[in-house]
Amino acid sequence: MDGIRFTLNGREVVYDGSAADRLLDVLRDIYRCTSVKCGCKEGECGACSVLMDGVLYNSCCVAMGAVEGASVVTMEGFRETERFHVLEKAFGEVSAVQCGFCIPGMVLAAEALLSRNPHPTEDDIREGLSGNLCRCTGYNAIVNAVSIAAKEGDGLW
Amino acid sequence: MDRISESVVKKDHLPKVSGRSVYVADYPTEGVLFGKLLHGKVARAKVLDVDVPELPEGYFYVDARDVPGDNNVNIVLDDTPVFCRETVEYIGEPIAMLCGPDEKTVERLRDACVVHYEEQEPVLDIRTADHVFFDYHFGHGDVDKAFAEADKVYDEEFETGYQEQAYLEPQGMMAVPEEGGRMFVHGSAQCAYYVHGAVMRVLGCGPAGVHILQDVTGGGFGGKEAFPSILGCQVAVAAHKCGKPVRCVFDRREDMEYTSKRHPSLCRYRVAVKDGRVTAMDIDVKFNAGAYSTLSAVVLQRGIIASPGIYNVPNLRVHGSAVKTNTSPCGAYRGFGAPQTFFAVEMMMDHIARDLGVDSLPFKEAHLVKQGDATSTCGKYHFPVPIPAMIAEVDAECDYRAKRERYARPQTGRYRRGIGMSMYFHGAGFTGSGERDLIKAVAKLRKYADGTVEILASNGEIGQGVRTTFPKIVANELNLPLEKVYYDHPDTARVPDSGPTVASRSLMVVGELLRRAAIKLREQWIDGVEQEVEERFREPDFMIPFYIDKFQGDAYPTYAWAVNAIEVEVDTYTGITKILGAYGSFDVGTPIDYNVVLGQMEGGFLQGIGYASIEKMDYDAKGRIRNNSFSDYLIPTTKDVPNLKCMLHVEKYPDGPYGAKGAGELPLVGAPGAYVEAMEQALGGVRLHHAPFTAEDTLAVIAKEGL
Amino acid sequence: MVNGYAPDSLREALELRAKYDVVPYAGGTDLMVENRPGVTYLFLHKIPELRRITVDENYVRIGAAVTFTEALSDERVPQLMKEAVSRIAAPAIRNAGTFGGNLGNGSAKADSVLIEFVADARLRLVSLNGERIVAVEDFYLGRKKLDLHSDELIAEILLPRTGLERYSYQKVGGRNALAISRVSFAGVFSMENGRITNVAAAFGAVADTVLRYRDIEQMLIGKTFEEAKALKADYLKAYAQRMVLTRGRVSAEYRKNVCMNLLNDFLTKFGI
Repeated sequence: MDGIRFTLNGREVVYDGSAADRLLDVLRDIYRCTSVKCGCKEGECGACSVLMDGVLYNSCCVAMGAVEGASVVTMEGFRETERFHVLEKAFGEVSAVQCGFCIPGMVLAAEALLSRNPHPTEDDIREGLSGNLCRCTGYNAIVNAVSIAAKEGDGLW
Repeated sequence: MDRISESVVKKDHLPKVSGRSVYVADYPTEGVLFGKLLHGKVARAKVLDVDVPELPEGYFYVDARDVPGDNNVNIVLDDTPVFCRETVEYIGEPIAMLCGPDEKTVERLRDACVVHYEEQEPVLDIRTADHVFFDYHFGHGDVDKAFAEADKVYDEEFETGYQEQAYLEPQGMMAVPEEGGRMFVHGSAQCAYYVHGAVMRVLGCGPAGVHILQDVTGGGFGGKEAFPSILGCQVAVAAHKCGKPVRCVFDRREDMEYTSKRHPSLCRYRVAVKDGRVTAMDIDVKFNAGAYSTLSAVVLQRGIIASPGIYNVPNLRVHGSAVKTNTSPCGAYRGFGAPQTFFAVEMMMDHIARDLGVDSLPFKEAHLVKQGDATSTCGKYHFPVPIPAMIAEVDAECDYRAKRERYARPQTGRYRRGIGMSMYFHGAGFTGSGERDLIKAVAKLRKYADGTVEILASNGEIGQGVRTTFPKIVANELNLPLEKVYYDHPDTARVPDSGPTVASRSLMVVGELLRRAAIKLREQWIDGVEQEVEERFREPDFMIPFYIDKFQGDAYPTYAWAVNAIEVEVDTYTGITKILGAYGSFDVGTPIDYNVVLGQMEGGFLQGIGYASIEKMDYDAKGRIRNNSFSDYLIPTTKDVPNLKCMLHVEKYPDGPYGAKGAGELPLVGAPGAYVEAMEQALGGVRLHHAPFTAEDTLAVIAKEGL
Repeated sequence: MVNGYAPDSLREALELRAKYDVVPYAGGTDLMVENRPGVTYLFLHKIPELRRITVDENYVRIGAAVTFTEALSDERVPQLMKEAVSRIAAPAIRNAGTFGGNLGNGSAKADSVLIEFVADARLRLVSLNGERIVAVEDFYLGRKKLDLHSDELIAEILLPRTGLERYSYQKVGGRNALAISRVSFAGVFSMENGRITNVAAAFGAVADTVLRYRDIEQMLIGKTFEEAKALKADYLKAYAQRMVLTRGRVSAEYRKNVCMNLLNDFLTKFGI
């Protein structure tokens, strides 16, 4: 039987396991993409957020069969981009990172938002990040960071 | 702003934001056994027997019989077992750990274990619980006389619920047997040396037989103060038996249901008032400790010391108790007993004020403590109390007094508004003489030949920024660029015990040791050679000695202060409350990095608002926690309090580094008082007595009062 | 692939559905939380017929595998549906979750299903033997019980094109995002020639299925404003008596109270 073909951070891969396996587990255990964090396995925290074909998903709620043919991007891939650099710098400038566990997912949620809406209002940012829980920051710094990144990275998205 | 307060990019920023940081679950799985706990399923029972399925080769069943040393986890008392004794005392108590190389197989084996119980009736209600773990009394003045002479006596009861820390990274620990027999335990934890002490005892070895590393830790908030000692012991025993590394990472439901939470409380306040002033308080504080005592003693101490609030109460009697129930043991959570009693006293003051026909704010102002006044334990407020200025700051930010007056008028229509205010302190550092007598912190600086300086201390980075703020202090004293000073995650094999990462103490206490050590190093500095300096804790000499048996003296050297205001709009059709704004002025002394401190205040304040409003957790008639997932236990999202404004007020503390005081816990403590007072106003001046105050509670009041 | 099929056509999907014991997978946000061991999924995301939104004379037809995010950016989807769908969880869940999945999960908390109830939506169910059109009310038999045969798939949701303009909608969750409905309410109102022609009211998340009482609605059909106002108290009383709510984390009393307030508000909003 054929495996599941998909692109992971720009690299073609074939997964031979079950189509019912969680993308989250496969990314972490098989492909060692440990930036993808497991916070709940119920789609309720966003720590496992990834991009599939540029769209934000909770990888805990995606079965491998739904990944066939898709292009999956995790922080391992996204961190090589210029847009990451702009976001990273903005997050650093306002110290938006505390414990860090939600942050890779949060940054990917910001990327998904800015790809769709390069000039978001504060409300847009709060909506775009609303599926990503953070227990440390109270969110203000994160929202500010995304706002700064949108300005500093004008034209990149 | 002082130069030291200027924000820098945090030292751990890049590895965290890029996903490179390695948390305990991120270590490679090769050669590591999965450990899964077999949790008890009944609240109180004798465990007669466990039918363990046949284990394939390489799989292990680990229980109390496998503990080489003492089957007790060293916390405050030693009543928490590593694996259960003959009984289970709460739903979730660890009976055994199943270990093996394949996760799903381990889970299957664990689920196939059949535990035979002889069930007993669990004790679940703290009103009737009769096993008292801790019982304290203190006070001053002549309370009975004040009550006898009072114009009026108020007698009310206040309740608060559980709060779950809800750190995003669940609990996880890993034990690795090293060559030569030493056990290496690492994971998500706040207090490497607590785990060290606990594992030593359980393995029956000396200090050199085990070492503990704190891994990158995805949030703690108190939840990883004592609990990692328990889990650390369990994986250490398992690794000892299996002879292989064992890792146990909790899933979210397991974590929410079985790990320590904030103590639910029941507080009764009797207050005597004469000529419009409070003359006495007679306070009874009861905390639900759960099945084992863990940290309840110290949580209760902090709670009762704070119980009269920041008001002058000439005659005071306080009784505090922590009682056993057959529920998950409660433990440390940011604020550590104080949020419960500050909620009660703030509501009590509000109710008395309104009964006297005045608003709560002027009534509280009239009773405020000031510099030189006595504390509840007959210590002294040695430093200025900046509350009046902070009230003015909050008022300026949100137009508090005008809104308070406006919303007090009768309201009609679907949406009703209210605003409320709380004011409070957080005693900085350990309660009483803990720093001097128990912790005795030691910190070191090691300068390498190339001129870089390493900080050697045991305080863990849990998001609060110590990997950045410690080096800032040292770099500042040594006039070095920040890149030259670094602070790694502590490993007990190479750092001294500078104490645990708790009690808002790290920066204030250990930061000051490091500042002094840096001065010492500067004075001895010789280029091109390796040098090491050490500093030890010294109690500030102004302190009035504290006696825990009498609860007398300075419980804390100084205090961080805060004023919070919260403005709400209630939908009377649904009970849903919109938070229009949350405003806080916080004095934690000099911020050793403005962004870091602001982030602590914002994050803590939002946790407090969650505690006050939507974070509801309770258990059913069998003692089972009902809210054990992120869909049932709701914490705030980006959209719940978009208008959250925190301001820093600086009242420097001369014995903290550059004037810094404890910061971490303060912002959480006062939210319930401000929120519920706002809800009272929106609900037409009703008197409320519990937190969290949920939408369901709100609608019940609306129905009852016909609003 | 192992434990799964990802057909490219509806025909192929129906053959697989008929032949094997498969669970249709359209989004996965509920299925993956359940995470049944040993399950074999039939992935529907590659089937063009199921991913389309089309419009005919009477209906907006939403394919079962259309995601909530896709519907939100489609101008043909009625505003009422968009309002409900925009409140589902958070972006990542809306990117994955689909209309067919929301129905197939069989929950009375499903936010899109509430709108289908109040809008008299119909469902097109297909199998190798053909198709049938059923009203959504008849499709939902109870909690997790659906009138869906083991060889059938939900193909489309048929939402009426007109008549949904005047509505009242409210989701009551525990917080402002990532919230599962504790109560959800949708009401649709229309009048012609001074008489009420539609006064549909549906309640989600309060019982085993979405609640809608056509016989009580009938009390007001054909009535003028004045007549309806005179009947309002009886109408509300009839609902209060009829609605028996299931117990949950949040008390039945609270939810009933909210339902009655929102129902009352619905009538008030349209002048009754």
